[in-house]
Amino acid sequence: MDVLIEAAKLVFDPFVLWVILASSAFGIFVGAMPGLTATMATALLVPITFFMPPVPALGAIVSATAMAIFAGDIPAAMLRIPGTPASAAYTDESYAMSRKGELDLNLGVNLVFSVIGGLAGVAILILCAPALAEFAIHFSSFEYFWLALLGLTCAIFIATDAPLKGIASLLLGLAINCIGIDPAAGHPRFTFGSVELMQGVSFIPAMIGLFAVSELMRGVVTIDQGGAVLTQKIGNVFVGVWNVWKRYWPNFIRGSAIGVLIGALPGAGADIAAWISYAVSKKFSKEPEKFGTGHIEGIVDATSANNSALGGAWIPALVFGIPGDSITAIVIGVLYMKGMNPGPTVFLQNPQFIYAVFLIFILANLLMLPLGWAAIKSSKQILRVPRNILIPVILLFCIVGSYAMTNSIYGVIIMLVMGVLGWIMEENGFPIAPAILGLVLGEMLEQNFMTSMIKSDGAFLAFFERPIAGVLGVTTLLVWAAMLWRGINRSTVPAAPVG
Amino acid sequence: MRANDILSGLALIVCSLAMIALTLSFPDFPGQKYGPALFPRILGAGLILCGAALVRNGLAARRAGAPWLELAPWTHDPRRVASLLLTLALLLVYVVASETIGFIPIALVFLLVLFVWLGVRPIPAVLTAVLTTIAIHWFFSTMLRVPLPRGWLDPIL
Repeated sequence: MDVLIEAAKLVFDPFVLWVILASSAFGIFVGAMPGLTATMATALLVPITFFMPPVPALGAIVSATAMAIFAGDIPAAMLRIPGTPASAAYTDESYAMSRKGELDLNLGVNLVFSVIGGLAGVAILILCAPALAEFAIHFSSFEYFWLALLGLTCAIFIATDAPLKGIASLLLGLAINCIGIDPAAGHPRFTFGSVELMQGVSFIPAMIGLFAVSELMRGVVTIDQGGAVLTQKIGNVFVGVWNVWKRYWPNFIRGSAIGVLIGALPGAGADIAAWISYAVSKKFSKEPEKFGTGHIEGIVDATSANNSALGGAWIPALVFGIPGDSITAIVIGVLYMKGMNPGPTVFLQNPQFIYAVFLIFILANLLMLPLGWAAIKSSKQILRVPRNILIPVILLFCIVGSYAMTNSIYGVIIMLVMGVLGWIMEENGFPIAPAILGLVLGEMLEQNFMTSMIKSDGAFLAFFERPIAGVLGVTTLLVWAAMLWRGINRSTVPAAPVG
Repeated sequence: MRANDILSGLALIVCSLAMIALTLSFPDFPGQKYGPALFPRILGAGLILCGAALVRNGLAARRAGAPWLELAPWTHDPRRVASLLLTLALLLVYVVASETIGFIPIALVFLLVLFVWLGVRPIPAVLTAVLTTIAIHWFFSTMLRVPLPRGWLDPIL
């Protein structure tokens, strides 16, 4: 109880509340602008939050991402362009509703179910994370090695339809992470005599490059390809939402559950949660023929799922330091910068911070109702901001943000190199998310691997000797076998698709 | 712009070989048969396997008639290609020249050139460029105390 009071004191501070409000507004804007994603919002916020204490820094990220995921639904319904990838699964359905004249109901349902979906995600985060942490406190380097490896494996197994390119992307991320002083012996690797490379590739500029700059490079060539805003008038969006709830509450529960689960699995976040829950909804619906014609049922599932996935992703991030999605990958970087190394010990040493994060999550989701309503009301103005002004301004912001992380041009160089790399990868069908996971988890994986090797004197069998490590290890190997089997099966089919 | 998998695969293999070659000079842990070179070598081996599999897929695709290089629709419009190259060029100019010229002048040029190229009308372009530069400079340099390069304006600031 004392911890809760202490956490409340941390959160209900005028500065923290102001930060939450400001970053919520920022999140809504970024989410509603097509081409700017929730992950990008996080990457752009980090250089600013760098100068804040931990609680407002985390508060800014939590509230901005929650708002962005909801706000992405607005242009989906009005322009048929998803504001963030998390809304892509039901963009056509939303737009079909708007064309039938049900824009109000669509936006209302999206708002209300995003709020309660987000709250469901937080509830499960609050219930699961401390319990898991108590369990994880007994883990040694062997368990952490397998956990990191299993996380990376899952990321490829579920998150990509091109497993081969996913693995390549992951290994590339891990290899980039090898640059700098090695974590076990302190030997400089691949630094070519550069002092700046010895500290490794700075994480946040790399993130800004991979997520923001590569996206802006794509945006600059498609600058004039916006959709036409629907001229429909927006009335009272809350009319009829109660009827939808009465009819489709089981869909809400199913959608949120899928969302939390997918969110908690490393590498897959809100966008994949929305796709899967929409597909599940269609499969089990009594009227699957209505899907695609502007039917609300699948939207209830998917819009709840993408918001609950946000909370779910924080579970492995806080407990094990393994990110559940690309947003929490950045969060882990922030936690390390603030000296709060994620892992079960945070729950013992700094429980007030953890509870403060929980409180901010609840607060941000409640705040979404009035702010989201305001965003819907002013959506026409937001969507009218010209992209040819926005993209150069954000690009300049990326430059300054990267510079601020290293206080030298080195940050900007990393941003530029990673931006070009990310762009080339995406153009050639290599997913970026596994590379990010590799960058985040690389050090943890190598350090635990090396420590375990030294402990066991180079004997590989020791990796399976402790019970939990053994289970994790065997599970990892089984997933590998499944992937290999899938790969072989696919390649024996004649004329395999380019892939 | 999508290159055939043969090319991506070969690029991966060449990079991994270079990486492994660089690890040859790393020392082992005292008294052990491995050291800081082990992890990068494992990664390199994995990347080479991936590269080989990609080359195999690429060869199959070639036999099925896939081109070496598949160009995205925007590459046929010289203006769009120029937009991309201009953006990259401006970023490079920033990296090379910002320390000497200073943040404020280079940010103004950066924004103005991009605005005008992307079709913003002159007066809004100038106004937005000036206001954005001042706002970013105030926020990062004054509020957050980031040492943005002063360059030419050093005597004034």
